[in-house]
This record gives sequence, C-alpha cells and structure tokens, in this order.
Amino acid sequence: MTGMSKETKVDPLITKRLCEIVGDKNATDMKHVRYAYSYDLSFVKPKLPDYVVMPTEVEQIQEVMKFANEEKIPVIPYTAGTNIGGLCIPEQGGILLDLKRMNKIIRIDEESHYAILEPGVSHAQFASALAKYNLRWSWPVGPPSASTSSNAICHGIGGLSGRYGLNSEEITSMEVVLPTGELVRVGSCAIQEDAWHSCLPLPRVDGLFTGWLGTTGVITKIGLRVHPTPPILKVFTTSADTLGDMGAYLRNLGNYEICDDLTGVSWWLSQVPIPYPYKPKPEEAPEWISFATTFSWTEKEKEAREEIWKMVMDEEIKKGSSLKETVYPEEALKARTQLPSQIVGSTKNYTKQAGAGISWPGTFTPLNKWEPVYDEWKKILIDRNLSPAVRVTNYRGVHYGMLRAMIPFPKKEPASVENARQAIVDCLKVDLDNGGIPYKPPVDFGIEINKRAQQGYVELLKKIKLMLDPNDIMNTDKLAL
Amino acid sequence: MKWNIPSLEELEDVVWKCTACGNCKTTYNFGPPPTYGEICPSGVEFGFEGYMASKGKISFARGILDGQLEWTPEFVDAIYKCTVCGGCQNQCELDHKPFIPEIIEAMRRKAVEDGVGPMPTQKVIAQSMRSFNNPYQGPRRVRTDWTRPFKKAKQPIKNIMKEDAPILYYVGCTGAFNLPVRNLPVATASIFRKLGLDFGILGENEICCGSTAMRLGDVDEFKRVAETNMKIFKDLHDNHGVETIITSCAGCYRAIKKDYTLSENYEEYLGDIKIIHTTDFLYKYFKEDKLKFTKEVPWKVTYHDPCHTGRHLLEYSIDEDGSQQWKGSYLGKSEDNCLYDIPREMLKAIPGIEFNEMERIRNNSYCCGGGGGVMTGYGDWAAKNAGIRIQEGMDTGADQMVSICPFCHYNLNEGAKRIKSDMKLYDLVELIDMAL
Ligand SMILES: Cc1cc2nc3c(=O)[nH]c(=O)nc-3n(C[C@H](O)[C@H](O)[C@H](O)COP(=O)(O)OP(=O)(O)OC[C@H]3O[C@@H](n4cnc5c(N)ncnc54)[C@H](O)[C@@H]3O)c2cc1C
Ligand code: SF4
Ligand code: SF4
Repeated sequence: MTGMSKETKVDPLITKRLCEIVGDKNATDMKHVRYAYSYDLSFVKPKLPDYVVMPTEVEQIQEVMKFANEEKIPVIPYTAGTNIGGLCIPEQGGILLDLKRMNKIIRIDEESHYAILEPGVSHAQFASALAKYNLRWSWPVGPPSASTSSNAICHGIGGLSGRYGLNSEEITSMEVVLPTGELVRVGSCAIQEDAWHSCLPLPRVDGLFTGWLGTTGVITKIGLRVHPTPPILKVFTTSADTLGDMGAYLRNLGNYEICDDLTGVSWWLSQVPIPYPYKPKPEEAPEWISFATTFSWTEKEKEAREEIWKMVMDEEIKKGSSLKETVYPEEALKARTQLPSQIVGSTKNYTKQAGAGISWPGTFTPLNKWEPVYDEWKKILIDRNLSPAVRVTNYRGVHYGMLRAMIPFPKKEPASVENARQAIVDCLKVDLDNGGIPYKPPVDFGIEINKRAQQGYVELLKKIKLMLDPNDIMNTDKLAL
Repeated sequence: MKWNIPSLEELEDVVWKCTACGNCKTTYNFGPPPTYGEICPSGVEFGFEGYMASKGKISFARGILDGQLEWTPEFVDAIYKCTVCGGCQNQCELDHKPFIPEIIEAMRRKAVEDGVGPMPTQKVIAQSMRSFNNPYQGPRRVRTDWTRPFKKAKQPIKNIMKEDAPILYYVGCTGAFNLPVRNLPVATASIFRKLGLDFGILGENEICCGSTAMRLGDVDEFKRVAETNMKIFKDLHDNHGVETIITSCAGCYRAIKKDYTLSENYEEYLGDIKIIHTTDFLYKYFKEDKLKFTKEVPWKVTYHDPCHTGRHLLEYSIDEDGSQQWKGSYLGKSEDNCLYDIPREMLKAIPGIEFNEMERIRNNSYCCGGGGGVMTGYGDWAAKNAGIRIQEGMDTGADQMVSICPFCHYNLNEGAKRIKSDMKLYDLVELIDMAL
C-alpha cells in the first residue's frame, strides 16, 4: 500500500466538544476508528482524519459546522466513501462527518413521483422502498450500500441516464447546512416548507452544492425525482470490431431517445473480471460489445422500439459497419441490467483478479471524440500492462457522452498502484485535451482540469467558495483550486 | 497433533484483496422485488466504519499489518465487538471471501498471543476452560443434572464410557450448564427414546468442544480440548462401538465439523465417525416416516437460522492450483451442508403450526448477537441485538420463534425479555418432542 502520510495532531479538547455535540458514542479520535476512513478503493494516497463524528440530527451538524468554522478545522462529509476518487480522504486531516445514521426515507410521493431522503439512505434501501410503489431511480453500477443523495450531488450516472440524464438533474429540492452552520433550503421547499417537488422555476442555486465534491455545504435532505417502472424489459445486444463502428451505432440509435441505457464496452470490460495484468483479446472476439436497455408498457410499444432498433442496425450495416447482433456474457449483462447490483457492488467484475484497487479516468466526452481518445488510451494502458477496459455511454439521447476506463490494480504493491495512477492521469490529460471533462475527480485530476481552465472560471469558483466557506474548512483542498 | 491455523501474517495476501467497497455492510437482493436489510450487528450498534462488516474488520487487519495500528485497550475491544456471524462474508464476492471469519479470528489470535486479548470478561471463560473444561465455570457433576428426569423415571441415560452404544449424544456445555436451555437436551434425549435409539452420553466426562475458545482467539486452549476430544471420540469409535456423534448445539457442530479439520490428524481420528446435527439426524427418520407427529402444536411461529448451522457451513471452492481461473481465486460456494430447508420442512410438518418467514433468512439471516464471545463479553449488547431479531420475528405475526442452537436460544430469550415481548425462543427439538 502507498505509505500513509504523517499523523496530524489530535486535540482532546476538540474531541470533548464534538462528544458534547453528538454524544460520546458518536464522536471519537481513536486511531483504529480513523484508520478505516483513511483510504478508499482508488490510487489516492491514504490520509487520516483527526476525528470521526456520526451525527444523527440536522442540529448536530449545524453545531459541528459552527464549531469547526470557529476553530478552522476541516470537515469532510462522508456517506459510504465509494466515489473511487479519494473524495472523502482528508487532505488536511480534520473532522470526518459520517452521515450514515441519518438514513430516513422521509417521503415517497407516489403521485408526483419524487422522494425525500436523508443522506445516509443507500441505494439498496431506496430500491426496496421504491419497488413497493413500482417506482425506480437511475441506479449507478456501484455498491448498493452507497448513498443515493451523494450520487446525485456528485452528478452521478445510472441505468436511466440514457433517458433522463444525470442524477443531479433529478434533484427537486435540498436542505443544506452551510460551512458556517446556517441551515438553508433550495428549490420549492425553500418557499413552502412541505413542497419538495421542483428546483425550477427558481434560480438554480442547487448548483452551489452539486459537483462541488462536498466543499460547499452538508446536504441534510434531498428531493429526488423518481420514475415509474414499465413491466417489459428488452435489451438489444450488439458487437462491432471497432469503436468507430460501435460509436456510429450508438449515436444513430441515441438519436431516437428510446433507451434507458445505451452503452458500449470494450472486450476487456465485458469480462468478469477485467483481466489483470493486460491480456490480449482473442483474435476472433469483437473488440466492442453493447447493450441497449429499453423498458415498455405494452408489447406494441416494445415492438415499436424493436422496429427502430432494427432500422438503425440495417442502416449501419448498409454503411459497411462490422456491427452484429450478439449475445452479451450473461453475468456481465446481469450486472448491468439488474441494478443496484451485488455483483458490481462487490467490485467482482472489476477488480477480483487484481486485488483491492480500482480507479478510473471517468469522463464526459463528446460522442464524436470517443474514438481518437480511446486509441490513445489503449496505447497508454497496454504500455503499462493494464487492460483497456473502457466504457462509452450515451446520456440523455446523445447530449452527453461518457468515456471511462476502469483500471484495477493490486493495492498491496505500491509500484503497481503508482503505475496505475500514472496511466490514469496520462489518459485523463489526453481526454481533457480532446474536450472531455472528468467526473468525481481526485485531486490529481483537479490539478489537470484547473491548469486548462479559463482564468475567469477559476476565479468565479474561488469567489463562490469564499462566500460560502470563508475559512475554507469544507473538504479542504479537494478542488485543487 | 499438527494444526494448520493461519496467523494474521499468513493471511496478508487475502487481506489485501478487499477493495473497501462496503458491499458487505447490508444485505441486498435484486429480486424482483428488491430486498434490503442490515446484516452486521456490530455495525448496527457501533456505526463507525471500522465496526462495519468485513470492510471494517479488514481495515483493522490492514492497519495491524502495515504497522499503522498498535494495540490499545479500545482497539482490542473493537476487534472483539463482532459476533463472527459471517453475515458480511456472504455479501462479498472477492477472493478473500472464504477467509473473512478467519481474518477476524486471526486478529484475535494475535491479540491473545500478544497478551492483550481477549477482553477481561472473556478471560473468565478462558480461566473457566482451564479449571472446569467448560466456559460456564460449571462443576463436572452438574453436567448431568439435566438427565434427572430420566433417572427419576427409571430410564437413566447410558454412560457411554460404561455401556457401549452406536450413537454418542454430545450435549455441549450450553445445554448442560445454562439453566434456561436445559430443556433442549431433555427434549433431544426424549425424542431419541421415543425413536428407540441406542445412544449414550459422556456425562461428567464430556468436555467443551473448544468453539468459544477458538472464536476468542485462544488457540492453545482450543487445541487442548479439541485434541482431547478427538482422542476420546476415536477411543469411543474403536472401543465402544460409536459410529455417529450427534450434537444439538450449532457451535459444537461447527467446531467439530469444521474447526477440527484444521488438524492434520483429523482423518486419522474422526475420519470414520459421522458427525451430525440433531436436526439433520432426525430428518432421516422424518423422511422414512418414523418420526410421526401425532399431537398438535397450534402455534404461530417463525424460524431463525443460526449462523453456525447456516452460512458458517457454506463450502467455498477455491482454485488452489490456478487451473480454472488463477491461483487462490474464489470460484463459488455450495449450500449443501447448510441446514436451511430441513428444519423448516420438519417444523411446517408439525400439525397445527402456522409458519411465517422473516425477511432476513438463510444465508442472510440476522445474527442473534450472541456468537463470537459477544454473549459473555458484551451481554448487554448481545441482548439488545437479540431484541432486534425478536422484533423482526414479531413483525411477521408469529407468536414464537424456533431455532436449532442453544446459544441463539438463550440469547434470543434474553432479547425478548429486554424488549418485553411475549415471544419465546424454542428449539425445534422441543416442538418435535411435543408433537410426538
Ligand atoms: C464498483 C463501483 C462502480 C461505481 N459505478 C458508478 C456509476 O455507475 N455511477 C456513479 O455515479 N457512481 C458510481 N460509483 C461511485 C459511487 O459508488 C456512487 O456515486 C455512490 O452513490 C456515491 O455514494 P457514497 O455514499 O459512496 O459517497 P461518498 O464517497 O461518501 O461521497 C461522495 C462525495 O460526496 C461528498 N458528500 C457525501 N455526503 C455529502 C453530503 N451529505 N453533503 C455534501 N457532500 C457530501 C463527499 O465528501 C464526497 O466528496 C461506483 C463506485 C464503485 C465502487
Ligand atoms: S469485504 Fe468484500 S464486500 Fe466488504 S468491503 Fe471488502 S471487498 Fe467489499
Ligand atoms: S462477522 Fe457479523 S458482526 Fe462481525 S463484522 Fe461480519 S457481519 Fe458484523
């Protein structure tokens, strides 16, 4: 494992005050407790928080924030720490605010199709509650035990993003504790306490708290739009020899906006697990394979979707594409269509062979840039003996294109961790230079983003951050500003 | 005897397989419909990630191995705040899965070896084991107190050392010494009698199976009693006609069936003896129509799967030589040894029984909270956790809960008292005895 940075100083008086706020059982500075929060799945170097606090009420969070602000102690919000970007690893020590005990589903409005959640509500918990109303959410391909609200505020993506876009676009309202301890609301609940149905048509201040990686406030309640579950699932699976052919098909089919999820994966990513170290794909195997998930209310609707899909296939094949209808490997398909999924949740399909580590260059990259970036990524990754386990996905029709390489590595070997880190950062640079933007970026990525960012944009971020967090205590240094 | 009980250092490679994904923190099944539940008693009670499931326990192991964590009284306490129930293990899919309880116990072995474990209240158990050969500080002669009704009825139970029999009923310390659980061996022996079986007990010569010592990391004590037992069992087989050892204790069953196999001499000593749990044993008679339920037991019941007769008996296949996936990879599991369907089938066959299932069952059963030395080390928490399980049972509409483990029996009844519930835990043999 990459070495732990030196211990920061723990002050028993601070622990005492935190215990007074949340109770003796819910605050500690004991090292064995802090240690479990010092690392995550990613290549990010482990660092210890100085205190861990588990609030159970909003007022406690307010008190913690007021105190931390006075004392200028960093605070890191945490729900499950599965973000794959070291986003909950404290850069400067401080208070790790573990929100898992605030896990109430406050409301599921089955008529207006939204829910109000506390931050500790997991995908698994939410999925089983929503199923009772035949409702669903755009579940990520990640651990079922991770938080739904954290996924939404981090611009998370899931199985319905092909249709509805990012999960942050589904936010209908929020309650937030500011770094200075004030409680604020945004969206309809700011106007009428009980109205959690929409952020619009008000000014979009929810943007002050989404994509900021926990650096602007602590979300204590969130309203999320949910969707009905049509009964008929039909998944179209295809293969192609090149990303050029696959990308053309995904763009063509994406135009019709009939899929909940429209994803292509390289041969390496379709394996359970991703081969580690790199192994060449068998000659005869197509390099790309895709699934297009559709849900319909009636057989006729399904047939209509099928008709469109067949039309697209014909068009592409006529153009000389290597596209073929194919059978997707069963376990891999389950892992992608039966969400939330215990298979991916336990990272079996990603890192079982490598052991302990995964990181990604995870990006939004315009669909027409997938191919050149992939070609470069492939070279970088294979050079470093890593599988180019790449995924491309259309979000909201063809509006966003996701391009991501999932890179497993053995955490036990520091040299292998560093090898993966360098490969991933190199991949990211290529993507940024092609107009891609990384999501849930670790600090290493933040540095590369900010290097390229327009100065006015960086200054604006700094001003906003200063306005909300005058003492820079919230997830300090995570934005690499 | 030679034992292959791994040290934490020997498990280092598997410790480094955990991604910290946290999948182990809850049970979840896609369904449809999807189901979800808490699975880790330690996480439910203590909350911080280190206490949460195998994710947390492995972080402790990692911390020890990479030199970041040194023993403090609080840290030692933390590694004992785990029922070693294996609920977390069932959720994980990576190569270290088969070793998860082993990792937890290896940390405890290290704590004992380093002179800091187990916890003071649990040290009493270790002391009791040394002085009394049981964890309850029970004098030898008390071991046979439960047999009094049989003596009184002039049908004493055979002392197998004196009179040969093909079946040894290995009672276990909890059934023999723990007053509220005493009806369990009574019911078991009563059923055996009704079936006309020729069986005997070790009586005052029975000693602990070593399960509790093993769960606490006291490997020397475990080995001492295990070796004695293996020798006794072999002698009973060679010289007293014993072919089968039956136990109604899930802990003893798991210890003899699984922990004893860590001895290189297992085959030599126990290879020719069938070791079976009472429930499994009775099932054969049930299927052959020899266990005839003639009386009604008009109860609404639910069933609690003990960890030790359930997921602890899952068999994991590992690619030992790398011929199927890669060396050491986890390939899959078999439920063949787990007692899931058998107790349910017999329970449902009892006339008058109305059976309601809880949500967390079988591999995803929620531990009663008593295992892993928690009942002795942290009695209050054990009972609190049992109260959660009892509440889950009550939520099904059942009036009583049935199980097949004396530990669960005791602890769940404590839990019921704590939440002032009228629900009681009965062992399946108690109901069977009533129905015969
Ligand atoms: C195998 C695997 C696959 C994954 N696949 C996907 C995927 O398909 N799509 C996807 O979107 N994600 C994916 N993820 C990432 C992650 O699992 C999800 O986004 C998850 O929902 C994040 O929740 P968490 O509880 O782990 O958040 P955490 O990691 O605990 O937090 C994420 C960020 O939010 C901040 N934060 C947490 N709570 C609050 C709060 N209340 N207020 C303010 N800030 C807060 C944290 O400081 C941190 O910066 C995957 C992860 C894994 C391990
Ligand atoms: S034990 Fe398994 S499920 Fe739990 S965190 Fe580790 S890898 Fe994930
Ligand atoms: S063995 Fe049971 S109590 Fe221990 S960490 Fe796993 S689930 Fe929790």
